[in-house]
Amino acid sequence: MLKHAPHLLSGWFSGFTDADLHRQARLPARHWMMALLSLVLSLASPSLYAVSSITVHIGAISSPNFQASDLNLELPLDNGKAVTLKTRLQQADNSWAEASLHCPALDNPQLGVWRCRDAKLASPQANGNVSVALQLPVAQQPFKADLQLAAFSFSDSVGLHAADKLAADVSLQATPDATGWRWQAALDWREGELFWQPFYFATGGHSLHAAGHYNAQALQVDTAQLKLKAVGDADLSGIYNLSGKRIEQLALQTSALDLATLYPLLLKPLLDKTSLNDMEMAGTASLQFAMQAGELQDFRLDLQQADIADRKGKFALYKLQASIPWSYDAAQPIALDYAGGHLLDIPLGAARLRAELERYSLRTPQLVLPILDGALTLNEVSAAWVNQQWHWHLRADLAPISMTELSTALGWPRMEGQVAAAIPQVTYSDGKLVTSGAMQFKLFDGTVTVGNLAMQTPLGLTPRLNADVQFRNLDLGALTRTFAFGAIEGRMDGDVNALQLANWKPVQFDAMFKSSTGRYPRKISQRAVENISALGGAGAAAAVQRSVLRFFKEFNYARIGLTCRVRNGNCAMDGVDGNPALAPVNNTASGYVIVEGSGVPAITVLGYNHSVGWDELLARLQRITAGNSKPVIQ
Amino acid sequence: MNIKQTLTGFYLFVAVLMVAPITSLAAADLEVNTPAISTLKNSMQTRHGQLAGHYGSGAVGLTRDGLIAVRDANAVPLAQRQGVNSLVSAENSDRNALYKEIATANGHPEWEAEVRSTFAQRWVQKAQGGWWYQDASGGWKQK
Repeated sequence: MLKHAPHLLSGWFSGFTDADLHRQARLPARHWMMALLSLVLSLASPSLYAVSSITVHIGAISSPNFQASDLNLELPLDNGKAVTLKTRLQQADNSWAEASLHCPALDNPQLGVWRCRDAKLASPQANGNVSVALQLPVAQQPFKADLQLAAFSFSDSVGLHAADKLAADVSLQATPDATGWRWQAALDWREGELFWQPFYFATGGHSLHAAGHYNAQALQVDTAQLKLKAVGDADLSGIYNLSGKRIEQLALQTSALDLATLYPLLLKPLLDKTSLNDMEMAGTASLQFAMQAGELQDFRLDLQQADIADRKGKFALYKLQASIPWSYDAAQPIALDYAGGHLLDIPLGAARLRAELERYSLRTPQLVLPILDGALTLNEVSAAWVNQQWHWHLRADLAPISMTELSTALGWPRMEGQVAAAIPQVTYSDGKLVTSGAMQFKLFDGTVTVGNLAMQTPLGLTPRLNADVQFRNLDLGALTRTFAFGAIEGRMDGDVNALQLANWKPVQFDAMFKSSTGRYPRKISQRAVENISALGGAGAAAAVQRSVLRFFKEFNYARIGLTCRVRNGNCAMDGVDGNPALAPVNNTASGYVIVEGSGVPAITVLGYNHSVGWDELLARLQRITAGNSKPVIQ
Repeated sequence: MNIKQTLTGFYLFVAVLMVAPITSLAAADLEVNTPAISTLKNSMQTRHGQLAGHYGSGAVGLTRDGLIAVRDANAVPLAQRQGVNSLVSAENSDRNALYKEIATANGHPEWEAEVRSTFAQRWVQKAQGGWWYQDASGGWKQK
């Protein structure tokens, strides 16, 4: 229809000269185009008198997405006269609003070129100035349309596709050929802001030039050059199947794009729901890809001198160099190097990572990630992209890292010792990371073993961690000095089982700390006694202070023990004979032994508090280790 | 509306929401607190100051499934619409996580849908006059 209608229109306009014609039509829903066409056909019939101007009035136009009423068009056929189209359009809230298009002077309709400078479009959805030059395809002439938009604004009803103060030039040229139209198009967006969900362009300066072929079956883009101001350029080509509404072919090749501007403009909106939604980037990226029959055939992503950092400090990689080729048909080697970075608070050293990417899986014999003075080595890494998610498994070895460096990096009190690990199997699937084997920390002259470690969405909003932790033979002297608790001499074992952290804070655990078995000096200072007592609340500490025992600086003990079973923010406490794996017996009347004295001078500390809020307990611990450098002894 | 007022409003809103008797879930403790839940609530509280103006202008409304949605972004300058989108999507991921966490903390992950629908009703009941919400059929209504 499009192909033939212009011929009818041009015949109609060149045929009439000198009479008035007034038509009214009430058009049935969804058939207004046909009606308008029949009106045009009747005007075009040679039996009518010639006319010099036409007034068209249409009572109502109705289609599923568009309702208009009282459409009036005044169209003088003399050169250089004003033309006005007025109508009322139904709005999303069912109210009606005036809309008009006024052209102050319509030039040269007889020559097949309609030209109108500074036409004013006014409607709730769109308004602004439009200059048009329209050449209709008469006598082998190509169809040409040049539009200049100025101070142009538009918006859909919910405001998710909208622009303001646009200044842009749009041109389209199309020449009919045997199978359709050969076309060329250009968009030069000079000024104005655009929000096209989810993208926002604050200013213009972007352009698109494209050429191709069009018919009812397919829109073919032979070449297209997209220039994004301050970001870079991209060359595109492709075929869009119009009947099937799918992309048949698409090829894209970009220049080196500036990541600092590309990220906020295009990447951030696309990554809004991922861990990469609040980043800062620098460096350049270039991308090329090709799709055939709707399937990705190959792509290549290169990063040069890229810095990527999460604004909330969760992770960062600096001076990232990456070459990531991919092909549907053949395995490709990928390379990724970085000079440094961090994951949560753990610093990462320079790394050179190599792997093989084969269709939807990635394999590599070894990845070495230097961390502080040690390294995490991932062996026999195998990953697969299935159902829009990564699933992977590997073997991990952590070469010893000095705890002095790690504790400093994590902002903990400075600790001596080392951490090392050998984890025979790490699997990640469905957002869940599960390990078998154990991580071993050599700390305070003893060992800390973390087993059954599992994590969920470690970089997400609500990370979860499950583990069982064993402490063996820790030197209480070094431990109490590190945490400024008050000196205790001796050794301690501990078990924190069924530990569950959410957002890195404990939700539940069964903890038990007891003196290690064996022979070693067992002394506890007055201050440590006060602090242990203070953990259980006020009363006990006061009792110690008032007694004659306050004359001694330290005491002998046989064993120390404390258990804490945390559920629902509450810690059920017990002493040397407690078992945190069992639900507590609610026996608040009697106390439990925390420090069992022995020899002279000996002291026994009893706890009476069987239940204390976990947050309150933490606050007490913090007060003790932070503010208790000067114990008050009365 | 100043930030202090909206924040106070939010605290009251949440407080009432948390202690209000829930008939449909007699056994579920909506007041339950875990580190994940308090993280989510803090995050939602912080965001509420930024969202309150958009509820008031009608740009954002409360949906019938206990989430929020962009209703009419025309009330917001173009440059801020992307921000509204991000606020809405961040709020929704917090709300989805909150319903899941509350159900999980009650030891009944399968209660998530009930927790959600209870919250959906409460959000609407406690919304300020002038705010928009979805009725049972999904149509927008102004309170």
